[in-house]
Amino acid sequence: MTSTVESSRSGDRRAARAHRSHRAAVTPYLFIGPLVLVFAVFYLWPAIATIASSFFRWGILNPWQTQSPADWQFVGISNYGDTLASGDFWNATLNSAIWLVVFPVLVLASSLPLAILIWSTPRGASFFRSVFIVPMTISLAAAGVIWTFIYNPDPNKGLLNAALHLFGLDNASFTLGPLEIHAGHWLSNPGVLHLGFADIRLVNLFIIIPAVWAFAGFGVITFSAGLTSVPDELLDAARVDGAGRIQLIRHVVMPSLRPSVIVVTVISVIFALRTFDIVFVTTGGGPAQDSEVLAMLLWNQVFQFLNSPQGGLSAAIAVLMSVFMIVIAMPYLRATLKGNK
Amino acid sequence: MSVRFHTTARRRILAVITAAATTSLVLAGCSTGNSGSPGTGSDKNPSGTIRVLYNWSGAEGDAFQAAVDGFTAKYPDVKVKLDNVPFAETQSTLTKQFAAGNPPDVSAALPGIVSALSAQGLLMNLDSMWNAWQDSGEYNDSLRAIAAGSDGHTDAVYFKGNVNGLIWYRTSKVTDAGLKVPPGSWDEFLAMLDAAKATGHAPFSVGAKDVWVPTQWVDPIILNVAGGKKFGQLQRGEIGWNDPAIVKSFTVLNDLITKYWPSNALDTGFADETCGWVTGDHFFANNGAFVNGIVASCDSSLKPGDDYTFFTMPSFSGSGTPGVAVSGDLFLGAKSSKNPVATKAFLKYLGSVEGQSIWAKRGGYVAPNMKVPSSVYPTVNDQRAAELWPKDASTVAGYDLDDWIGGEIQSKYRNALDDLIRSHDVDAFIATMTTVDTRSGK
Repeated sequence: MTSTVESSRSGDRRAARAHRSHRAAVTPYLFIGPLVLVFAVFYLWPAIATIASSFFRWGILNPWQTQSPADWQFVGISNYGDTLASGDFWNATLNSAIWLVVFPVLVLASSLPLAILIWSTPRGASFFRSVFIVPMTISLAAAGVIWTFIYNPDPNKGLLNAALHLFGLDNASFTLGPLEIHAGHWLSNPGVLHLGFADIRLVNLFIIIPAVWAFAGFGVITFSAGLTSVPDELLDAARVDGAGRIQLIRHVVMPSLRPSVIVVTVISVIFALRTFDIVFVTTGGGPAQDSEVLAMLLWNQVFQFLNSPQGGLSAAIAVLMSVFMIVIAMPYLRATLKGNK
Repeated sequence: MSVRFHTTARRRILAVITAAATTSLVLAGCSTGNSGSPGTGSDKNPSGTIRVLYNWSGAEGDAFQAAVDGFTAKYPDVKVKLDNVPFAETQSTLTKQFAAGNPPDVSAALPGIVSALSAQGLLMNLDSMWNAWQDSGEYNDSLRAIAAGSDGHTDAVYFKGNVNGLIWYRTSKVTDAGLKVPPGSWDEFLAMLDAAKATGHAPFSVGAKDVWVPTQWVDPIILNVAGGKKFGQLQRGEIGWNDPAIVKSFTVLNDLITKYWPSNALDTGFADETCGWVTGDHFFANNGAFVNGIVASCDSSLKPGDDYTFFTMPSFSGSGTPGVAVSGDLFLGAKSSKNPVATKAFLKYLGSVEGQSIWAKRGGYVAPNMKVPSSVYPTVNDQRAAELWPKDASTVAGYDLDDWIGGEIQSKYRNALDDLIRSHDVDAFIATMTTVDTRSGK
């Protein structure tokens, strides 16, 4: 009898343990479930739908719909073929590539020295930090509008042309080897860098500058956070060993900032690739298609070219952009995951 | 336990049904007003709410608001909710809203978007409204054709007209410079521009940063150089851009750009264009009749007619009067409108003498409705522009080329024009457009 009772108790304990173990296994999924659901509905499904729709012909007024297979116009990979064969795509790719190279470089080149200067300022560091962060609070569209005033061709209105006027350089044009410059025409035809295989339109540079002005605050914040993690003992030791200010920055501070540099670079690159709003308000992709970036080409194909439905083509561009972004975001993701481990 | 479960479930089901029924009733009570199938021409008294999307601001926005106020005074049971969007974003906003199944009941639009939306069967058929207007002599066939959709019906109302190709100038500035206006021939026109240029300033103020501005130059020049027939054929895609008459038109345009435009045309927007000849160094601007209502934003002391006025380009060939370049804004009604009666009433009002007279009285506007009397226009400039409106079949007129074509061709045409302004390469422009616009097969 006793043994039967004990055996029954032991069975109950095993069942309870199994139940607890089962609950322990299930509970995390219950917590993560809603998040997975949100991710699936608002991220995964749109991504899958975009990829799927890139294999069909459709327009925004008669969109591709999963529930209407009778209306599908399957075109295979021809949207990708047409995209890659299109001069518009390569023009936009070149302009996006200019953004990809110039924007992160300028963000790093402006925000890193600023962050270090603020860090080494004995007084008023938080004031200076705020000054450089303020433009970040302005939307990029607004930043673009502000800078169109600065670029105004009338010397009585535009700051830059007023400066040119002061030095008698209004409408000055000159050529330096492959570089052609037209001073004062900041957002129309400021110049071209003729590379032989491609022409780099400098108007892109004059749209990137306001974007950097607005975005540099992000770099200042990130680098300032990184600078707080530089150990004081290490700095003191370097000073005792006779390191000067430059050596201190080069050999002690910079290595500590490597993760911050990766974060700022990758975020800048992603930002550069998906840029749209500041181009839209400053030049609208023009003049001609000089500043049309990939996101703007995509937008044009969906919302402007209504009588030649190109939704599938724009979906193909979106997929190509996403693949590229995932590839270049890998270092950041790896660094983040490594940090978590 | 089982019984309790079922009872609870039943209660829940009942609660859901009650809630659904209540919601339906509440929604029915909050309906947008009278409904009925579009195009039935219901004679019910309009009521409820309609949403109207428009794209004017400043003085033009105020004038449109006055027209809306006129409608609501006439139909006090209708509430008009206005959505304002920037002009350049009208098409994308409208497209997004139609695609999302939530279009405005009524919207401002250009012929290109009317054509695209009607091809999808998204617009109200307004044939009966137009038939009545034509029967009463308020519109003619060519004006109706501008509002036609691509579904064989007239799917829009022509609310705001505009006459383009007007050369605006300050009378005192031109007199002080000793320029003879209006020029009697094309040669005199060029001689006048040369004399203006000799003063050290580019004769024309041009705001080509706004992509529609250079397109306003093309239409009157094609109508003048190639003629109305070729203009219509190009518009409909019956001839290619490499047609010799069209090439000649762009060569003439290119000469004007090269010699008489300022070098900063692509950096200058429309607002700066206007102030460029009103208060700046330039003598002229080539733009539409609506400019009359905008001059005050540069200098409110100027009196239309006395202080500033316009002339039309003289005939290029020297024989006959050049065709009139017209443009303007249409209004469409969504087929899916929940309140088709009020929607149709609003559209009818916008196309009527009564509705159009409200803005006409304020100036900077040409009424497309031919029965709007010229006496309602407030200034001599407005009256002169209104007299140019093509009211009879003998007047050669061409509607804004790129607005009429719309879509990808319009977008790429504007890009190609930017390139022409910069490069002055007519051959490259023609080659680009021949590649972009393949409708003629040439």
